[in-house]
Amino acid sequence: MTSVKTLVSSIAYACLLASSVSSVALAAECSGTIRVLAQPRDGLTLLESHKDEFAKLSGGASFEIDYLNENDRRAKTKADASTIGKYNVYYIDEANVALFASAGWVAPLMDYYPAEYDYADFDPGRQKVATYNGKVWFAPLTGGGDLLVYRKDLLEAAGVKPPTTLDEMKDAVKKLHQPDKGIYGIALRGQRGSGANVWRWMPYFKGFGGEWFDGNEPKFNSEAAVKATETYLELFKYSAPGTQTGGWDESVGAFTSGQVAMLVESTPLVGMAIDPKSSQVAGKVGYLPPPTPLTGGGYGHGLAIGTKANADDASKACAGLFIAWATSKENEQRRLEANQFSELNRTSIMTSDTFAKLYGPDLGQALAETGKVTAVNFWQSPLWPDLGDRWGIILEELIAGSRTDIKDGLNELEGFAKELVARSQ
Amino acid sequence: MTSRTRLPAVFLAPPLLILAVLAFVPTAYAIYISFRNRELSRPDGSFVGLANYIDLFSDRRFINAIGVSLTWELVTVTLTLLVAIVLGILMFEFASARQRAVLTLIFLVPVILPRVSAAFVWKFAFHPLYGVVTYPYKAMTGQPLDLLSNPTTALMTVALVDVWQWGLFFGVIVLKLLETLPPQPFEAARLDHARPWEVYLYVALPMLKAPLISLTFIKMIESLRAFDLIYVMTRGGPGIVTETLDMYAFSQGFIESGRISYASSMAVLMMVATTVIFTVIWKRVKP
Repeated sequence: MTSVKTLVSSIAYACLLASSVSSVALAAECSGTIRVLAQPRDGLTLLESHKDEFAKLSGGASFEIDYLNENDRRAKTKADASTIGKYNVYYIDEANVALFASAGWVAPLMDYYPAEYDYADFDPGRQKVATYNGKVWFAPLTGGGDLLVYRKDLLEAAGVKPPTTLDEMKDAVKKLHQPDKGIYGIALRGQRGSGANVWRWMPYFKGFGGEWFDGNEPKFNSEAAVKATETYLELFKYSAPGTQTGGWDESVGAFTSGQVAMLVESTPLVGMAIDPKSSQVAGKVGYLPPPTPLTGGGYGHGLAIGTKANADDASKACAGLFIAWATSKENEQRRLEANQFSELNRTSIMTSDTFAKLYGPDLGQALAETGKVTAVNFWQSPLWPDLGDRWGIILEELIAGSRTDIKDGLNELEGFAKELVARSQ
Repeated sequence: MTSRTRLPAVFLAPPLLILAVLAFVPTAYAIYISFRNRELSRPDGSFVGLANYIDLFSDRRFINAIGVSLTWELVTVTLTLLVAIVLGILMFEFASARQRAVLTLIFLVPVILPRVSAAFVWKFAFHPLYGVVTYPYKAMTGQPLDLLSNPTTALMTVALVDVWQWGLFFGVIVLKLLETLPPQPFEAARLDHARPWEVYLYVALPMLKAPLISLTFIKMIESLRAFDLIYVMTRGGPGIVTETLDMYAFSQGFIESGRISYASSMAVLMMVATTVIFTVIWKRVKP
């Protein structure tokens, strides 16, 4: 019996040794260029100045990052992953992780993510959106929820209290809207897209109790959707010019150039708004969790291992090593030191003394508070981008005025959703 | 003799082969997958016959895209030709040789500029808050002017950029064409007391009928490929008012759904329609 035990343990040790040796060997064997398709991020640009470090770590491999803006990156990753598969690493996000995972375009990350890089250290919200069907698919590069960001000086001058409810926000927006002085009450996103206008509309929809689906049955054609759309359209009357067909860039640009009193936007806005290099209103900015009942739009973007370009386990391991290194604590520390607020994802970094010193206790407090109302607002399905984009077009038509009947738009979307589900089965 | 007859074939074979591979293979494949239900996210797919084509005609975005594409063709081709003729004549009539040389250089710049760059430049120029084009209106009225977000002006605003690129370039071509015409018919018309506009309308332009028809065809083909301009400036919006057929096909194939069979059926229909329409027009107007 003892000898059997010894034999079993010997085999186990041998396997353990072999696997650890092989993973080291795999890492050490990396060579050539790891090709990455991403969207512009300061953190990735910073990473490119440390190529030598990765070459040393991987045993000689290098990496090349191609950048495309968000919508183009989504289209190109989809086209590449489903056809030629030129890229070893894809930048994917919460909205298409289900599609990429279910289509087999990306590999389960944890199978190739070296344990010493401590995936569990990532913010729990970001881990949640990187997980689909019980498996983790990407390591986060950015993410978070929403914050109400406002101009302290304008609110003080008008005697308006920072709003904590939607009704208060609506009143404040109307009061602060002074287009003749170049100040607009709010900035929303009008540009079509599941990650554009629909992204900003969803907190209203979910906040009013809306649901997307019950199984395969669409549930979104509801009073909540009508009310959310009415509210969104009402607020759009006070939204800065250019946002009617604009996305994140237009909204944030209008705020940081001093033309907007307040807006509810994704958390990275704060980093830009308080940085004098990118903001004309730095020093005049306050932040709060989104007003009740709005939910925060939980999101996360990150790097995933492509399956086509990494045909064997060895190349998947190299891609995994690159992702682990790119999102490591050391690299996040560099981003923190470079004041790249929106590129921080690790709990250990966001609770560090350096973080508190750089951004003050208020921001840490606001982030902790907003974490409580952050939710997954979209439909977690591979079909989501298709459905979300279709609603984006209808919503853009409503915003631009080329369509006026909200219920008719929702009926059209419901018909489309039924077709979509039927086609996928 | 034999070697003389074979030589053209020797030179023609390689480019024709490359053309066959580059043009016919994708075309044949597009036709093939348009009869299937292939989607990017699913490697399988089955034969569905004409289902994609039938679905197209109950798709409001497709019907809308046909209208937008036709309007786009009509507006950009007509305006480009009008601008080109007027500019060409004005330069020919009033500019000295040196002025013509300078103007030619200036008018060639827009078309040399990559379309995507031109689209970005104009997108910023039309921005309601910071745009140079909209600034005077904002300064005078105090109201911002958002031309690209307005469903009634968006398509015309993008068309303006297309006309800016091609109208000025074609204006240079018209000038060069006018310079090649013999002077005698002009002198004869002037001796008969024809007014300047009559000289151009009844003498110069009829003499330029053939090259102008060629220019029209070139522009018609070029206008079919307005994708980059529209993609950068409006992405087909607001809503779907600037969504042309190629923009919609791309959206269906790569941006929204990954329905490449459905997108291919649109591409095939576009190919058939343009071939038929262009052949008919060509035969009708052939000088």
